Amino acid sequence: MLEPVLFALFSVSAVVFAFNVVFRRNAVHCALHLVGVLLSLSGMFVLLNAQFIAAIQILIYAGAIMVLFLFVVMLLNVKGEAPLLTPGAWKGFGFFFALIVFVELLYIVLSQGGTEGTPAAAVPLPPGFGSPAEIGRILYSTWLFPFEVTSILLLIAVIGAVVLAKRKFA
Amino acid sequence: MDATFLIASAVKVLVVLGFVLLGVPLIVWMERKVIGHMQDRIGPQRVGPFGLLQTIADGIKLFFKEDIVPDGADRVVFIIAPALPVITAFLALAVIPFGDTVRVAGHDIPLQITDVNIAVLWILGTTSMGVYGIVLGGWASNSKYPLLGGLRSSAQMISYELAQGISLVSVIVMTGTLSLASIVRQQEHLWFIVPQFFAFVIYILCGIAETNRAPFDLAEAETELVAGFHTEFSSMKFALYFLAEYANMMVVSGIAISVFFGGWHGPFLPPVVWFLIKLSLFLFFYVWLRATFPRLRYDQLMAFGWKVLLPASLLNLTVTALVVGLTA
Repeated sequence: MLEPVLFALFSVSAVVFAFNVVFRRNAVHCALHLVGVLLSLSGMFVLLNAQFIAAIQILIYAGAIMVLFLFVVMLLNVKGEAPLLTPGAWKGFGFFFALIVFVELLYIVLSQGGTEGTPAAAVPLPPGFGSPAEIGRILYSTWLFPFEVTSILLLIAVIGAVVLAKRKFA
Repeated sequence: MDATFLIASAVKVLVVLGFVLLGVPLIVWMERKVIGHMQDRIGPQRVGPFGLLQTIADGIKLFFKEDIVPDGADRVVFIIAPALPVITAFLALAVIPFGDTVRVAGHDIPLQITDVNIAVLWILGTTSMGVYGIVLGGWASNSKYPLLGGLRSSAQMISYELAQGISLVSVIVMTGTLSLASIVRQQEHLWFIVPQFFAFVIYILCGIAETNRAPFDLAEAETELVAGFHTEFSSMKFALYFLAEYANMMVVSGIAISVFFGGWHGPFLPPVVWFLIKLSLFLFFYVWLRATFPRLRYDQLMAFGWKVLLPASLLNLTVTALVVGLTA
């Protein structure tokens, strides 16, 4: 009984925050509403029995990455910059990408929505689902290769950032 | 979810909330008294016996002060910001076990508000959200010094969070659980300070940095930044920042006790008493540090975090993982 209520609460807040991220003028306000989106999503993860992902979502995204975002926004003190394109051209781009996303979503809904009638909740969860131990086991067995590739990718990004930042002072 | 569970939870929440709200004035009094004596002064002594009511009087004064919002401030963020660190501190307190399971009227009630299986992550998550209060407070004031304080704080938190998290992971590798209640239970015979001494040193250094306490209180360095992030805050908004700082000290101490100092374990006395004794010692340690060390310079702080604490915590984790892997 509580679950649908919480789901409605988190999804509505996620959508409202997301709209504000787009429509707010002030960059800091945008970043704060993005934090709101991340927190709402974290609540959804808990409802999906993925507590570990929920905690990581808060810890990494809301707690670290968004603080860095804010740090940069506050440091640069971004006031409305000169637009790259005319407002009309931006709108054209916006509608174009929105159309692509809409077609994608439509495709997903039409291809899967009708055939698989059983809702996911009816399937009993395997024991230990969503627990840190189980996620660790899967990450280091089934998904070991993608996991390691991701870590190397991040390492490359870190080295690249250091090289780019150092070049300025050389 | 039966009625007993609800009642027990409500009572525990109220007790912890009351303990923190009443404890903070006591800690502030203790701090002023101890620092006073360490600096060869006598500290507060006029209000109440031994000056005990001094912080209550200060609190009442703050409550009746004029609440000022600067003209150029971002009103909404300015009002929300002081509440954030208090909220996150209380959220973190929810998972700290302060006693063994007790039997009340035929029901087993664990002395901990809630035992989630990701307690350690929960605490790291809530404390990392606490920084928003300081960063946003500094930004919303729309004033130079608070902004600098907020920026310093965000960089400091991100740097020290890493080493803090990794030092706790070393203990998690040993115990194989993220639940604080089980971590405490595994320390019945041996406190984890013994095998994980380095992890503890790293944790407590980062903890002091996370609570913005001397010698890591760069965000409010009064010699450079007036009062840092809370320069523009007055009345209850300032009091909330003050409350959050001390509540966060309790959180950091509570985790240190649960993870490294055997939690509520101890001979003869009841578990809750042991927890309170350890908590008082930790809070005294905080005050002692403040009276002993001068504040670090900002570049020293960052260099210490990234070049000393982070490599040390990674090394400690590697050694722990090797030992656990080879002996298991």
